Amino acid sequence: MPTWSELQASFTRALLQDDAAVAGAVLGDGLVPEARIAIYRHHVLTTLTDVLKATYPVVCRLVDERFFAYAADCYIRQQPPTGPCLFEYGATFPRFLAEFPPCCAFVYLPDVAWLEWTIHAAWYAEDAVPLERERLRGVAPDDLAGLTFTCDPSVSYVSSPWPIERIWRANQPDADPSETVRLDAGAAYLEVRRLDDDVTLRALAIGTFAFRATLAEHRPLEEAFEAALAADPDFDLALALQALFAEGLVVDVVVSLARKEIKWQSPQTSISHANR
Amino acid sequence: MTTGELGNILLSAHAGVGLRSPHIAEVMHTHPAVPWFEVHAENYMGGGPAVRALEQIRQDYPISIHGVGLSLGSADGLDARHLARLKRLVERLEPVLVSEHLAWSIAGGAYLNHLLPLVYTEETLEIVCRNVEHAQTVLGRRLLVENPSSYLRFAGSSIPEPAFLTAIVRRTGCGLLCDVNNIYVTSRNFDQRPIAYLEMLPGDVVEEMHLAGHTVNDADGQPILIDDHGAPVSDAVWELFTLAIVRFGPVPTLIEWDTNIPEFAVLVAEASKADRRLATSRRVTTNADVE
Repeated sequence: MPTWSELQASFTRALLQDDAAVAGAVLGDGLVPEARIAIYRHHVLTTLTDVLKATYPVVCRLVDERFFAYAADCYIRQQPPTGPCLFEYGATFPRFLAEFPPCCAFVYLPDVAWLEWTIHAAWYAEDAVPLERERLRGVAPDDLAGLTFTCDPSVSYVSSPWPIERIWRANQPDADPSETVRLDAGAAYLEVRRLDDDVTLRALAIGTFAFRATLAEHRPLEEAFEAALAADPDFDLALALQALFAEGLVVDVVVSLARKEIKWQSPQTSISHANR
Repeated sequence: MTTGELGNILLSAHAGVGLRSPHIAEVMHTHPAVPWFEVHAENYMGGGPAVRALEQIRQDYPISIHGVGLSLGSADGLDARHLARLKRLVERLEPVLVSEHLAWSIAGGAYLNHLLPLVYTEETLEIVCRNVEHAQTVLGRRLLVENPSSYLRFAGSSIPEPAFLTAIVRRTGCGLLCDVNNIYVTSRNFDQRPIAYLEMLPGDVVEEMHLAGHTVNDADGQPILIDDHGAPVSDAVWELFTLAIVRFGPVPTLIEWDTNIPEFAVLVAEASKADRRLATSRRVTTNADVE
């Protein structure tokens, strides 16, 4: 008789890969055992498909519900949830769509999917208290360039060569059905954020986008400024910092550890020298 | 109200309602006369408006936390991260009851979104008891374990399900959550008598009951009952509930509805129906105490 661990593994294969081996361990009770296993498989696949459909309504509308169900079925079998909190399930669906051969013609689809994921994630992000700009006053001028920021946990920065914001808006339930979106309408640089219990979607200027997206990745202020200047030579750092705090986007500021280590290097060396 | 006062309302054995997201706004605005609410733990492990709403509702109603993802039947043991999140939620909401299922859903790092069946053997009894004890130690409180609804049985099972549940209770000191609809669904799916199942459970360990609707599907001409929580409680389950009250006494009872979720008033009406049956038993209990 297999151990329970082995039986669980083969039951999992029966659900996700249609592997028939576990049927031998199941009583028919008047049916073929496979029919009983199929009841569980059906529930797992349909409820997880519903989870994805609720997170990706625009993708579902764009590809048609039946195709969506097919893509979701393939995705769930390849990448089932790794934990029981289903609001966390589906983060890798955009990447899956990008590599899913039947979707290749829909070049903008993975970016639209990523936008939907960031909107979904914003709903469930932890609450955080914005930091007052006064916190920066205590930072030594030498440390400013190396500052890293922690942004509001609900914030995401999404860019795409395709007009994904227009595509998203044209596929909302209350959108004008006659509206069409030209795929060459231009790139999108978006900030997604939960504000006052509502998730907002905002187009940013390219310099602001580069600045905020870099900071959101916990990269130092200096690097964010360089990225912003590369995108927009007229980028104004003082105004950008002011806006960042005024909009309550910053929840924490850390002086770069790397720089601190450099600073502390000499006293540490002298201590170890003294010990010798 | 303090946690103690809130808890007394729940423990006085009234019928509550499973709180689902479509009804949260209505509950917050209308403050309905519902004695208590039960929530699914996994829906409140993130942040945002839903969690804040629940924290507000928690100020006015006793709350019971019902987990669906702990996977007490996993041979690999419990997912430490998930258990830690459950602990945080329990600390935050101070629920009157915390319950989980005799089932599994995690194997090899994959979470299969279902309460999957166990083989009932000495090996799995030890695994489940170890997991229940682990959860109770980490949470610092007793767990109630719910009987599952099943659509298949393993050939290797050597212990009847009610005896398996009884053994878990005796070994770990946990309590039982008796889902009356699950007893009916499981028994009917394996051509057994629901009353016999009920009678095999000890009378002194059931601390909560669940009621829900099911659907009857056809599988090759044979009826299969599916526990979809998508319909009113069936007449047969109401009858079984009456017998369960006689056996277990009036304990807090919950109306669950998870698919085709109706207007909130429908749930309240079902809870009132359950409450009337509990009230009859409460009166009998009180009279007996007086005599």
